[in-house]
Amino acid sequence: MAVKVLIMEDNPVARNFLCRVVRESFSDAQQITEAGDLESARRHIALAGGPTGLHGVDPFRLILVDLELPDGNGLELLAELSQYPATKIVTTLYSDDDHLFPALQHGADGYLLKEDRFEVLVEELQKIVRGQPPLSPAIARRLLTHFRGSGADAAAPEAGLRASGSGSSGSTRPMPIDKPVDHERLTPRETEVLTFLSKGFTIKEIASLMGIKWFTVNDHIKSIYKKLNVSSRAEAAVLASKQGLV
Amino acid sequence: MAGGDSHFDASAFEQSLEQRQPRRWIGWRLRAMVLAAMLGCGLVFVLMRSLAASPHLDATWQPTARGQLTLLASPVPALADRAGLTLEQLWVPGHAPLALDELLLQRTGRWLVDDEQRERFLQQQRQLSALLAQGQVRLAFSDGSSVTVDTPPRGTGGLGLLFWPFTAFALLLYLVGWGVLLLRPGLRTALYALMVWCQGFNLLLIGAENVRGLGLPPGFGGIDLMLRLTLDVVTAGAAACAYAVYPRRLPEARPIFAAVAIVVAAWTLAAYAGWLPQLWRATQAVVLGLGAMATAVVAWSYRLAADPVIAVMRRFTSIAVGTLALVSIAVALSQHLAGAAPAVAAVAAVIWYLFLASLLLLVPFLSRSRQVLREFALVAGIGTVASSLDLIFVALFALGPLASLVLALGLGLGVYVAARQWILNRMVGARVLTTERTFEQLYRVAREVHDHPEHTPQLLARLLRDLFDPLEMLWLPHRLPAARVVGGGAALYVPLPDEPDAAEPAQVLVMRHANHGQRIFTEDDAQLAARVVEQVLRAVAYDRAVERGRTEERQRIAQDLHDDIGARLLTLMYKAGDRDIEDYIRHTLQDLKTLTRGLAATEHRLSHAVGEWKADLQQRLQPAQLQLHWSFQADRDLPLTVGQWSGLTRILRELVSNAIYHADATQVDVQLQLEAGTLHLRVADDGKGGDPAAWTHGLGLGGVRKRVRALGGQVQWLANGERGIACEVVLPGFDGAAPT
Repeated sequence: MAVKVLIMEDNPVARNFLCRVVRESFSDAQQITEAGDLESARRHIALAGGPTGLHGVDPFRLILVDLELPDGNGLELLAELSQYPATKIVTTLYSDDDHLFPALQHGADGYLLKEDRFEVLVEELQKIVRGQPPLSPAIARRLLTHFRGSGADAAAPEAGLRASGSGSSGSTRPMPIDKPVDHERLTPRETEVLTFLSKGFTIKEIASLMGIKWFTVNDHIKSIYKKLNVSSRAEAAVLASKQGLV
Repeated sequence: MAGGDSHFDASAFEQSLEQRQPRRWIGWRLRAMVLAAMLGCGLVFVLMRSLAASPHLDATWQPTARGQLTLLASPVPALADRAGLTLEQLWVPGHAPLALDELLLQRTGRWLVDDEQRERFLQQQRQLSALLAQGQVRLAFSDGSSVTVDTPPRGTGGLGLLFWPFTAFALLLYLVGWGVLLLRPGLRTALYALMVWCQGFNLLLIGAENVRGLGLPPGFGGIDLMLRLTLDVVTAGAAACAYAVYPRRLPEARPIFAAVAIVVAAWTLAAYAGWLPQLWRATQAVVLGLGAMATAVVAWSYRLAADPVIAVMRRFTSIAVGTLALVSIAVALSQHLAGAAPAVAAVAAVIWYLFLASLLLLVPFLSRSRQVLREFALVAGIGTVASSLDLIFVALFALGPLASLVLALGLGLGVYVAARQWILNRMVGARVLTTERTFEQLYRVAREVHDHPEHTPQLLARLLRDLFDPLEMLWLPHRLPAARVVGGGAALYVPLPDEPDAAEPAQVLVMRHANHGQRIFTEDDAQLAARVVEQVLRAVAYDRAVERGRTEERQRIAQDLHDDIGARLLTLMYKAGDRDIEDYIRHTLQDLKTLTRGLAATEHRLSHAVGEWKADLQQRLQPAQLQLHWSFQADRDLPLTVGQWSGLTRILRELVSNAIYHADATQVDVQLQLEAGTLHLRVADDGKGGDPAAWTHGLGLGGVRKRVRALGGQVQWLANGERGIACEVVLPGFDGAAPT
């Protein structure tokens, strides 16, 4: 059965180009669906199992999302698809962390810069699908401050709670706030990886500097991605419970 | 500075912050005040009625050099055409004629030096009242003519121009005395009120003496004399006592009170019993003696505690006593002079009373600005000095009245102009800083606050310290809505925010004893301090708004460039077909992105930029199968300007592009080094080498040269050992160009 791919890009020339990149990247048979705006993309996704990916329907396996679209921002779609079982990749002209970081927070598995050479894009796309998310130094730096900030905020009340409730009463606090706090923390290793990344080191260099295998470094990066995503989802959950939605 | 005041207790200030609830004018205070005001008005009304009912001779006289009286002017028709004639006699048939000399023109016996003269004056006044009471008097003039004139009661409208302002001033003093006493009943305020009331009464009597025309109620002269003498003695005694308990109670308060009581009682007994042979001299001696005692007491109080309030009091007291001594000497010296001298003496004395009254009025409002009152006191003081000097010149140097008047006036004015600032400074003190320096400081502090917002309170405190030069400063963690003067000007509380953006001030800066204890804080100072703080914060807010506006505008331009031109270039690139043109457009696009990022970013730190450069180069070299050797060393991290960041980004990109596309290299070696403010960049490859200028894409190298020059550095290309070429860029003054 063909692998289903959705390419969302408003510029027809760029869409064409991305189609070529996708075809070049994978040897499997593919079924590429193209969408020029958010509305048609949503329609296609609804046909393919809806945003949560219903069982029994063949969902998209790969989704390329452009950020700037005629009827909105690609981030909206990413947020809707947070439960969708596909590899989501942002294709954009923006390489600054102000644009990319929110995309990663909304659950993007990686990003491609549209102005890169064809070969570069093919290689990057393959890497992402294989599970090697890219991280630029700027994004790494931003991740570091993100986790440092939320970690510090989360640590203080937790310590107080433990001190007061260590004896008999146990935890009576609502679960959604309490649980993700632990996930949001980075391990020392992950922090180390991020620090190296922020200084511009490649994964191979980091592996040799830390004395570990390159795929271990890769695992760390994937774990950081997951935590970022989890933390953003936890924030969404807190927000939702505050607004009485859950 | 005496050490008695050194235990400076923050908790006391904390308490004063809590306590200072203004006492309200409700309840018994208001009722008592209204009652006091009615009482005062009633007294004035009685005096006014008595003066209005007394018969009078409405004419203005001038003494001649020989002690005779010349008619100057009169609204009475029978007298009007006799102006300029000398009065020979004033009598009523059946009564003894009145002795006519210049004494008749004296208004009070208070400042008559000679006992005999004073007795004659009183006698004359009694006689005059008796004559005027007959309803008609006859006047004979030097040209032989005589005329009969009616002496009607003067009526309320005929009290003259001087009566009303003096009465008003007296009432004001009276009410201020009550106000102070009612607000804080106690010994100190009672003594102050006593002084103020005495002087108010004095002014009321002066106003009554100076009604229009001749003729006062019968017996007024004698009562007036004794009252005024008593009032002066009591005032001086109260002053000496007051300083024993204000601003703080002296250990020697009791003996001082006792001494004053004995002196005042002794004087009263002697004066009323008529035992004092030289009444005026004795009284002046007692008054000046008590004044000197007050000066000594306040000086002693200042030695015990160097409080600026006491310092100001000491100045007030010594000035008042000094001028009184001057007036006394002048009057004593001029007692036998004829002509204008007695009138000048009387005026000098009256001005001195005004001076004293204005000083007394200033006391409760020391820390509040009372510009008008201050200037009035100054003019009155100088007037006293000038008129006294005038008398002394006439007496000592036998100058003509006009010459001495001109001389004294000139001297007085000279003293006024020269000493005004000095006296004002002594009274309330000078600003430590000139206006110009203040502005300079304001500007500097505003810039520092902008750069280091976390130091806002310290910077503002430094500015205020330079402004007021206080003896002590301390911080209180307290909220205060506005700057405030406390302790009668001893301290100033200024609320300061923690951050320039803070909505509410978080702490209070307490400054104590302005000008190193030489000056008291005034309400003006509080306002100035509040304004200074406000201005600094406003300047910072303005700077920030400007910067924010600039950043927003830059970001908008960047966004537009990136979105519009970027999207078009991208389309163009996809459609290029030709590999070279595609690469060229890609570089253009990347340059555009560098440009827009440079515009949009607010800050690039060198260490951050280096990380990005490395990742960028790595990403570009990898597909071309080139290996990157990267080394970076810096003795410190610093923020890059937009120009430095974009310049270096493009230089690096261009040099690496050359290595990729033109050198056929396999290795690229990049060394970046920041040492003592100089940035060294070396990009070397192991390619085919040769003359870089000969490369077809010389465009890029020209760009490198241009950018290095723009950054104020130098660039050169060298052979890199056996193979390849190295480019060396040196940028001196790299940290100096960047704002810190």
